[in-house]
Amino acid sequence: MEKVKQKDLILYSGLIILGLAAPYLFSAFKVQLTYLCVLIVLAMTWNLQGGEMGYNTFGNILFYGLGMYLTASVQVGMFFPLAEWTESGGEKTFVHTTAQYFQGIGVGLLVSAIVPAVIAGAIGYAILGLRGHYFAICTLGLGIAAGEIAGGIEIIGAGQGFTTPPFPAEIVDTEARGKFFYFLSFALLIGTFVFVKYIYGSRFRLILNAIRDNEDKAEAMGIQTMKYKIVGWMCSAFFCGLAGGIMGGLIGYIDSTDVAFDGREMGVFMVLMAILGGKGTLWGPVIGATLFHFFKEGLWTLILGWQYVALGVLIVVIVVYFPEGLMGWLREKYPERFGEVIDDKDRKAQVELK
Amino acid sequence: MNKIAKLFVTFISAITLALVSFTSSFAKVEGEYIVLGSAISLTGKYSSNGVHTQNGYNMAVDRINKMGGVEVQGKKYKFEIIYYDDESNPKRAAQLAERLIKQDGVHYMLGPYSSGLTKAIAPVTEKYKIPMVEANGASRSLFTKGYKYLFAVLSPANQYLEVAIDLAVEKNGGKGVKIAQAFEQDAFSQDVRLGILDAAKRTGSEIIIDDKLPKELNDMAATLAKVKAVKPDVLVVSGHTKGALTAIRQISEMKVDVPMLAMTHCDAAKLSKQHGKKSEFALCASQWHKNLSYKDKFFGSGKKYAKDFQKEFGYDPPYQSAESSAALLVFKDAFERANSFDRDAVRDALVDTEMQTFYGNIKFGPGGQNVAKPMILFQVRCKGDDCENRVVAPTKWASDKFYHPIPKWSERS
Repeated sequence: MEKVKQKDLILYSGLIILGLAAPYLFSAFKVQLTYLCVLIVLAMTWNLQGGEMGYNTFGNILFYGLGMYLTASVQVGMFFPLAEWTESGGEKTFVHTTAQYFQGIGVGLLVSAIVPAVIAGAIGYAILGLRGHYFAICTLGLGIAAGEIAGGIEIIGAGQGFTTPPFPAEIVDTEARGKFFYFLSFALLIGTFVFVKYIYGSRFRLILNAIRDNEDKAEAMGIQTMKYKIVGWMCSAFFCGLAGGIMGGLIGYIDSTDVAFDGREMGVFMVLMAILGGKGTLWGPVIGATLFHFFKEGLWTLILGWQYVALGVLIVVIVVYFPEGLMGWLREKYPERFGEVIDDKDRKAQVELK
Repeated sequence: MNKIAKLFVTFISAITLALVSFTSSFAKVEGEYIVLGSAISLTGKYSSNGVHTQNGYNMAVDRINKMGGVEVQGKKYKFEIIYYDDESNPKRAAQLAERLIKQDGVHYMLGPYSSGLTKAIAPVTEKYKIPMVEANGASRSLFTKGYKYLFAVLSPANQYLEVAIDLAVEKNGGKGVKIAQAFEQDAFSQDVRLGILDAAKRTGSEIIIDDKLPKELNDMAATLAKVKAVKPDVLVVSGHTKGALTAIRQISEMKVDVPMLAMTHCDAAKLSKQHGKKSEFALCASQWHKNLSYKDKFFGSGKKYAKDFQKEFGYDPPYQSAESSAALLVFKDAFERANSFDRDAVRDALVDTEMQTFYGNIKFGPGGQNVAKPMILFQVRCKGDDCENRVVAPTKWASDKFYHPIPKWSERS
């Protein structure tokens, strides 16, 4: 971080300006842009866990869903009785004032960042001893279980779902809501990126990589792997929770298995996007998520009814032709552009040896 | 890094260009077309009902266009619908509603299929003040949120099976009955459950099994095993199409004897066709039945509608299709009375709707629900291998007597 190169500076400021201007340039696409920001955040946080640490998790959807429910619950619960709000068929209508709405979502987001992180710590302590497939399957169960449990808790709406507070009616501008959620998610994106970038320059990342490459060796070298694994997962959970909180407010309706603990879609997407872009790289998840989102929004409606078939084909293509993702593929093709020095003599020598 | 940066910049600018050239908005009324928008479940767990809904919409669009269209300020307009697939997912539905309104410039919406998805779309249409006439979101909580632009042509979900409990109590000599119930974990079915809870309280009935069924509903053997053990007077099941099919399949496989079986979505599941005699005596709640005596000038009677629908799509219309067709009749009526394309004028006209369609009378209550039309109950009855749905309640339209109790499996041939 200490010496951001000039070219990087231009790139970053360009991207930030583009990001800030986007909702005005493409006013009609605000919601999709918000989704894009959230998808990138999810891909980046998954990458911390799955890419850098080598612990492929399907459980991050748990933190996303938790964040969603927590933000909405806090936002409602701070001012009104939550049980009455969610009570199905409740005849009462509560209306948030403008101040209440923003205070509520602020506190809600705070809670939705901290609680999932704490829970990640607790669960991580219990299951991060598992490795490889066992860990993946175990986390897959987490998301599914969470969905079923949430679907049975009356106070958060159970199977009825939870309608999040509507945007304050006092704000007449119909664009305001879209802008608010866009900038919120863009701020989260920048926060996440800066954090991940910081990690990339730190010893912490090296430790995570060491765990990925050979956990036993890392341990033998005196690294308390468990501690770092837990902290790594908590970092993911922190941002995942925030992303969920923002999405809940944006969608306006939380359903236990289809919106919050949506392992079938969001849970798979975040893995797919990270792998598409190239896991274990800084820009990979960003590019992967962007490409994926454009693919989805652009093609989805053109192939009504076949979109999941197309998605399946996409997954196959990625896995077969770009197993290392786009970044990995580029890196292999143009290693020198990634700052890798190739000793031609050495390479030839190796070829001859074979 | 610099090459990567270049690559990235190129990528971003390409996207920017693509987006800018893509931002072309349609108008709400294009030439002679009034453009309506709808997100429909063409894939996912609600896909079969989504298609019923879409067929209903299309049928009405064709009919109205063929019969002269909509007359506003002396000019004839035709209906056109932009569809997207919401994948039976509320998150996607809400996003598509935004897209229809912001990018496609749609000013009038038709509802999606299911209460959950309607719940996800309603906040969006409300925000942009887009009138939405929906035909498949029955959850009571939709009508208590104070939505001003939401209009439903159907009766709320809690009314679906209340009548069935009353019927059971009546058959029991006015004494309370023992109820076993299993409901899918979704907004609609849970609302049906609330209706049963109310009815149980009112009639002094006792609920002895109260199970929740998962969304991807393929198995309810655990509930049925309990039913076999405790022998309730009534078994109530609701879980959309899959719920109805699963219930009948497993009840007949496990030979569960219960005097009365009340369900929803039997006609959407084509129960009497798919399971034939196994489904006999099932009691079903329905918004509509073709034998009802309502009429309008577009579709004629219910029977005529059913015949035309059969000809067009090759199957008997379930009520999901009928109510969807009715939604367009409501829109047409409102446009003509408003005599304007102003959204608020159309909305005000919708509020004042009072009409009869082949599907039933339509008049919206303060929350937007249809208050002019009762629910009906039909029972699957078979002659030989030929099974059909016969209306048994309310008595005004009943073509058959309610058959009670259901004979034991050992006595059924």
